[in-house]
Amino acid sequence: MPRLLLIEDDKETADEIAAELGDRGFDVSWAADGIEGLAKARSGGADVMVIDRLLPGMDGLTIIETLRGEGNRTPVLVLSALGAVDERVRGLRSGGDDYLTKPFAAVELVARIEALLRRPTESPDTVLRVGPLELDLIKRTAKRGERTIELLPREFRLLEYMMRRKDQMLTRAMLLEEVWNYKFVPQTNLVDVHMGRLRHKVDEPNELPMITNVRGVGFILRAPA
Amino acid sequence: MSAVSGSSSVRLPDFARTTTFRSTLVIAGAFVLCTVALFGFVYWQTAAYMTSSFDALITGELHIFAAEPPERWLPHINDRLDNDPRRVRIAGLFGADGHRIAGNLESLPGGLTPDVPADAVVVRVDNQGRETVKVRLATERLPDGEILAIGRNNDEIAGIANIVRRALTLGLLPAFGLAVVIGLVLSLRARRRLSEVNRRIQRIVTGDLRERLPTRGGNDPFDQLAVSVNRMLGEIEALIHEIAGVGNDIAHDLRTPLTRVRARLERGRSRAATLDELRTVVDQSIAGLDQSLAVVTALLRIAEIEHGRRLEGFSQVQLAPLLREVGDLYEPIAEDKRVTLQVEIADEATVHGDRDLLFEAVANLVDNAVKFTPEGGRVTVALLRNDGESVIQVKDTGPGIPEAEREAVVRRFYRSDKSRNTEGLGLGLSLVAAIVKLHGFRFTIGTGPGCTTEIAFPSR
Repeated sequence: MPRLLLIEDDKETADEIAAELGDRGFDVSWAADGIEGLAKARSGGADVMVIDRLLPGMDGLTIIETLRGEGNRTPVLVLSALGAVDERVRGLRSGGDDYLTKPFAAVELVARIEALLRRPTESPDTVLRVGPLELDLIKRTAKRGERTIELLPREFRLLEYMMRRKDQMLTRAMLLEEVWNYKFVPQTNLVDVHMGRLRHKVDEPNELPMITNVRGVGFILRAPA
Repeated sequence: MSAVSGSSSVRLPDFARTTTFRSTLVIAGAFVLCTVALFGFVYWQTAAYMTSSFDALITGELHIFAAEPPERWLPHINDRLDNDPRRVRIAGLFGADGHRIAGNLESLPGGLTPDVPADAVVVRVDNQGRETVKVRLATERLPDGEILAIGRNNDEIAGIANIVRRALTLGLLPAFGLAVVIGLVLSLRARRRLSEVNRRIQRIVTGDLRERLPTRGGNDPFDQLAVSVNRMLGEIEALIHEIAGVGNDIAHDLRTPLTRVRARLERGRSRAATLDELRTVVDQSIAGLDQSLAVVTALLRIAEIEHGRRLEGFSQVQLAPLLREVGDLYEPIAEDKRVTLQVEIADEATVHGDRDLLFEAVANLVDNAVKFTPEGGRVTVALLRNDGESVIQVKDTGPGIPEAEREAVVRRFYRSDKSRNTEGLGLGLSLVAAIVKLHGFRFTIGTGPGCTTEIAFPSR
């Protein structure tokens, strides 16, 4: 059971997050201010931390900077009501691994925490494999079993990202940020359209589907059962 | 108990404390100083001139005397003294031991260098009696030891000093008085004007934004200032109205989805028979809340960009790859809508800017263009060079934006009537405008057919 340290001063928000994460199988411990939070973080034991940006006692970014300075590498998700781009950049620069702006959907938070726990395999392999799917990073080719898949460069990029994070829930915002480097959620259903194209190529009608669309949440790439 | 010192001294009357009055005093003081100095100079020059002509006169006479034979001296002295109706002449002949031989000088004053005229106070004696007088006097030792003294009364110089002093007093006092009176009048006038301005400013402070400062239609600095302030007030008033308008828009755009959510939840609570039905209602409600939150987020983003000084985040951004990426992002959507999306690069421009924001601006333009272009249409994203400018141009074959509405679509929340039934928050173009403004570029919405939007900047 992964252990999670939540440092958040608003009790109601903290309760919601703790309940949601508890349902998803996390062991959540909670600190209501910066000082207590830093102490709990130092005592170790957490696999991942969720730290609010603005906290009484000690600012969230200061906590992260202090921990990083002490050599603590536990992944941190910064939570903030400050949505400004500059804030995001500062949050990541001070040592945060991801940044989520309030208000957020619970599933978005869970997806991001799980992504932090399972950091992508930066394997030196030049061929990525998920089930029958094979992606050759050198030759820029994709195959499912014996079938060659013709991919546009942007589709190749998307598939590579998903294969490195197989079995993980990838939300639309995560995909936009990471694959397209697009920090702002646009109005159109951009990701769905791109994903639709890719699914169409990866999963042919007679094959078991590998890319699953989880309604209202995002997408998962899995080896067919 | 320690006394509070200082300000409890005599308080000047109000007008005396105005700046105008003080400068009046300073100017009047300077005027007085100048006048005194001028008169002093005139006096000094006159005195010096008179002294030097007296000196020339008496030394001249001394030399004439000295050149005459001794038997002529006495008659000469007497002649000289007899022909002096104004009684200004002094002459005396003294023996080597200093006793008086002739002339109207009682005794020889000491401390005189022979042949050098100097000021002296002597006693004059004649048939009208003894009199102490101030003179200019020169002496000369004659060949056989006698001393000759020739002088001239220099009371006239003192007289001139008196005249100058009197003129100064007579002229200066009224002039000073006049300056002070004028200063008073001016300071009172300025004060009246200032208190009028102050009164109006107080009214503005208490919320009457239609109030303006008084102007006289003249061109003095005060009027110019008032005109500038009035212009500023006008600007502020317009902004406040705009904010009020935006506030209304926000209220409207938030209230609509929130009301819908509320109604939906209420109905769901009373009508939903199964858990699934309830879930559907909740899902719809969440979607409605997300829509409201998106409005808030978009507004905050616009505010952030409009008030942001993100210049420190600026770097060199290559536009050609940026446009290709936007094209890449939107191509599938255009394709789904059966709209041709084309990227044309005719210029390799680099700008100093924020890559993320520029990407967002172009993406918004393309998003709009694709959204409003009917099936079978075409959207072109081009990077052009035009009259020394580089231009990012997004052109579509949609309905375009009527001229009368172009100004409005850049404002927050505006959505053209025809597009009301297409999703989107109507904030896209205001966002673009804010980003373009932050970069100091120019954003134009051009004429049809279709809609042409352009972001122009000077090319390098």
